[in-house]
Amino acid sequence: MSKMVLTRLGMALISLLAVSAIIFWCVEFLPGDAAERILGRNATPESLALLREKLHLNLSAGERYLHWLTSLLSGDFGTSLVADRPVLDYIASRIANTALLSGFALILYIPISIGFGILTAIYRGRFTDHAISVIVLIFMCLPEFVIGILLISIFAIKLAWLPPLALIGSAQSFGQLVELMALPTITIVAAMSAYAVRMMRESLIEVLDSSYVLMARLKGLPKWRVLLFHALPNALGPAINITALNVAWMIGGVVVVEAVFEFPGIGRLMVDSISHKDVPVILAISIVMTGAYIVTNLVADLLVILLNPKLR
Amino acid sequence: MSGPQPVAKLEGLCVDYRGADGWSRAVDGVSFEIAPGEALGLAGESGSGKTTVAYSLMGEQRGASRIGGGRVLFQGRDIFSLPEKDLLALRGRSIGFVPQNPMASLTPSMKVGRQIGEMLRFHAVPAPQGVPARVVELLESVGIPNPAAAARRYPHELSGGQQQRVAIAMALACKPDLVILDEPTTGLDVTTQKRILDLLAGLKRETGVSMLYVSHDLASLAQICERVAVMQKGRLVEAAPTRSLFERPRHAYTRSLIAALPRIDVPPEGRLEPLAAPAQDALLEVDDLRISYARGGFLGLGRPSSGSDTVKGVSFTVSRGKTFALIGESGSGKSSIARAVAGLTAPRDGTIRFNGQPLPALARQRPMHLRQKIQIIFQNPDSSLNPRKSVRSILARPLRMFGTLDAAGREKRVIELLESVRLPASYAGRRPHQLSGGERQRVAIARALAAEPELIVCDEILSALDVSVQASVLQLLETLQRERGLTYLFISHDLAVVRWFARHIGVLSDGAFCEIGDTETTLSAPTSPYTVQLLEAVPRIDASPQIVT
Repeated sequence: MSKMVLTRLGMALISLLAVSAIIFWCVEFLPGDAAERILGRNATPESLALLREKLHLNLSAGERYLHWLTSLLSGDFGTSLVADRPVLDYIASRIANTALLSGFALILYIPISIGFGILTAIYRGRFTDHAISVIVLIFMCLPEFVIGILLISIFAIKLAWLPPLALIGSAQSFGQLVELMALPTITIVAAMSAYAVRMMRESLIEVLDSSYVLMARLKGLPKWRVLLFHALPNALGPAINITALNVAWMIGGVVVVEAVFEFPGIGRLMVDSISHKDVPVILAISIVMTGAYIVTNLVADLLVILLNPKLR
Repeated sequence: MSGPQPVAKLEGLCVDYRGADGWSRAVDGVSFEIAPGEALGLAGESGSGKTTVAYSLMGEQRGASRIGGGRVLFQGRDIFSLPEKDLLALRGRSIGFVPQNPMASLTPSMKVGRQIGEMLRFHAVPAPQGVPARVVELLESVGIPNPAAAARRYPHELSGGQQQRVAIAMALACKPDLVILDEPTTGLDVTTQKRILDLLAGLKRETGVSMLYVSHDLASLAQICERVAVMQKGRLVEAAPTRSLFERPRHAYTRSLIAALPRIDVPPEGRLEPLAAPAQDALLEVDDLRISYARGGFLGLGRPSSGSDTVKGVSFTVSRGKTFALIGESGSGKSSIARAVAGLTAPRDGTIRFNGQPLPALARQRPMHLRQKIQIIFQNPDSSLNPRKSVRSILARPLRMFGTLDAAGREKRVIELLESVRLPASYAGRRPHQLSGGERQRVAIARALAAEPELIVCDEILSALDVSVQASVLQLLETLQRERGLTYLFISHDLAVVRWFARHIGVLSDGAFCEIGDTETTLSAPTSPYTVQLLEAVPRIDASPQIVT
C-alpha cells in the first residue's frame, strides 16, 4: 500500500506541474496585462513601460514561467503583482477562511449523508424514503447560487434569523462565527449531500439484500448491530468515492457560494485575481486547489482500501 | 409416534408469494415433525418450496410473501406469533442456520472469529474460558487447522470448505436444539463435500442436535438423515425413513428423482455407441499444453516463467464422434484447458491440432471455418445468454455469422434447432428470463448446434441444473452425438455423470493428468491415489445411517 501512496504522490507532482503550465498559458491568452489593469485610466505609455519592467512583464512568457518555476523550487511563490506582497502571505488567511468553510460543511455533510442514506434505505418504498428522496432530488437540480439566494431571502430577510453576508472578519466570538457561517455552509451541504444520500441509499439497499445480512439476522442479532456492523461498513465504499467527487465539486462550487455571501475566501480571491491578471496569485491558488483535490482522492482511495479487507 | 415433544412441527403451512398477477401459493399445506436428535431431509428441485419451508422454521419470510395458513411450532411455541424480541432470542440461540453459499453469507468486512464471538455475546452464552478462547475451541471442533490463526482471518482468506466449516461452527456456537442446513454442500468439490458430510454426521452423533437438511441432492441426504421428505411444487408428496424411501418409493415423483440420480456404483448400461462414428481418427490433439495467468516481467511484458503455470504440460487426443471428459476439482485447470481449446485463453506453450491442422491460439486469429467447427457451452446459462435478446435472435446470430441463409431460411432453421433440443417453436419469441434453468441450457446447446460444429466444448454445463434436469440434458447430448457424430470435450467434477457419459477420461490434479484412459478401466481399477480419493468421495445411497423406525 505504501508503494501505491508513493506512486500516487509522484503522479501528483506531475499533475501539479501540468496544471500550473496550463493555467499560465490560459491566463496568457486573456487580453491586456497586469500593468494596464493596475494603472487603469491613468496609464501613459511611459508609466506602462516602467511598470512592466518592474513586474518583469517585458520578458517573454516562457521566460516568466521558467522564472516562476525556479523560484517555486526554493519555496517562493512570487509576489502578487497587484498587492505587491508575497503571494503566500497574501493568500494564507484566505485559504484558512475557505478551509474553515469546507470544514464546517464536511462536519455537517458526513452525518447527513450517512443518516439520510440509512433512513431512505431501511424505509425504502415507504413515506420516509419518498419524502427524503424528493427533497434530495430538488437540491440536486437547483444550482448552488439559487439555493444560496433562496436561503438568504428566507432566513436573512424574511425571518431575520441569520445574517445575509458572511463577513467573518467581524466575528467576535465562536457563536457569532457559527451564525455568520451558517447560510454558506448549509448551501454547500445541501448541494453536496444530495448525491451522497442517493449513492448511500443505492449501495445500502444492495447490501441489505445480501446473504450475509440475512445470515446476521438469522443469527438473532439486534437490528442496530446488523445495520452498523454487518451492513454499513460494506456499503460505505461507493459513498466515499462520491465524496471525493463532491469535494472536487466543492472546490469549484465554493467560488460561487463565496461570491453570493461575500465570503472572504480563496474562491473570491481567485475571481478577483483573474480580472486583474495577477498571475502569481492565480497560479498559487490553482496549485492549492489541485493539491487539495489530489489529496482528497488519495485519502478516499485509502479509506476504501481500509474498509475492504479484500483490497488490503 | 408417542414420544418426547417434537423440536419443530409444521401444521398445514401455506406460504404465498406476490407475483405480477397477484398472490400465488409456493408452499401448500406442508406438515411434518422433527423429533429430538432426528435429522430430517427435505428434498425437491429448485422452486419446490423447500427453502421457503426452511426459512419459515426460523420465522423468516422472504421477499413479498405472506403466511397463507397453518402454523410453525418450535418447542410448542407458534413462531409467527412470537414478539420480535423472543424471535431474536430464538434465532441463533435455539435454531442454528448453515447457509447455502458461505462465501456470500459471511460478512466480508469482519474477521470470522468476531462473527462467531458476537453470537456468544449477544445471546449471553456462558463461556467460562472467555469468548475468544471459546471461538477457537469451536473452530477446532469443526476441524479447522490452526484455529487460533483462522479466527483472525477474513472470510475471503479461507477456502470454500473452510468457510462452510466456519458457518457450521457459528450454527453450533450456542448449542442450539435444531440446526437448519440449506444446501450446505452445493458448490463445493466432491472431496470437500465428503469431508463436510462426514463432519456433520460426526457432530450430529456427538451433540445429538436435531437437523433439517435441505438439499436437491438425495445422495447427500441419505448420508445424514434418518427420514426424508420430498417436496414437489409446494406440496409434501412423500415422507419416509431414508432406506424405505430409496428402496420402495411410493410416489411417482420420488421414483423419478431416484431414477435421475447418476449412480457411480452401478455400471453403465444401455449406453449406445455413436452410429455416425467412422474410423477412430483423432479430431482434437492437444500436445504439452501449458497455461499461465501470471504476468511475467516488468509491466506484464515478457513471458512468465514455467513455475507459475496453472496447466502444466497436458497432452490428450479426442477421437471423432467420441466424448472425452476432463475431471478434477476446482482449480485443477480443467476450465483453463477448455478455454484454450475454444480459443478464449492463449496458452503459454504447447500445440492444439484440429483435424490434423495446428490451431491459432486465439479464436479471433482462427479462420471463420475453424471457429465454426469448435463451439463452447458455458457453465451458467443465466450469464451466457444475453438477457435482452429473444431466443430467436440468440439462435439467429451464429446463423448469420457462419451461414448463407436469408431471413426466411434462418427463421425455419431456428425452429428446427429448437425442435432438436426438444423445445417448442413458440419459445423463439421468449427471452431467457422467461425460461427455466434447464430450458436456458437447452437454448445454449441449440446456439452451439446452430454453427454446425464438429467439436463442442462443454464446460461444467450441468452444475447449475437440478438432478432430473441434468439427466434430460445428458440424454439430449447423447442423442445429438449419435445422430450427428458430434465430438464432446466434457468438463465436469461429477464422476458419476462422467462414468455414464464419456468414453475416455483424463483426471486432472493441480494442472497435470494423474490418470488418463478408457473411462471404465480407469474408474473400475484406478491406479492413482487421487482418483481413488475422488471415487470414495462420491456420496452413495447405500451408505445411509441407522434407520429409526
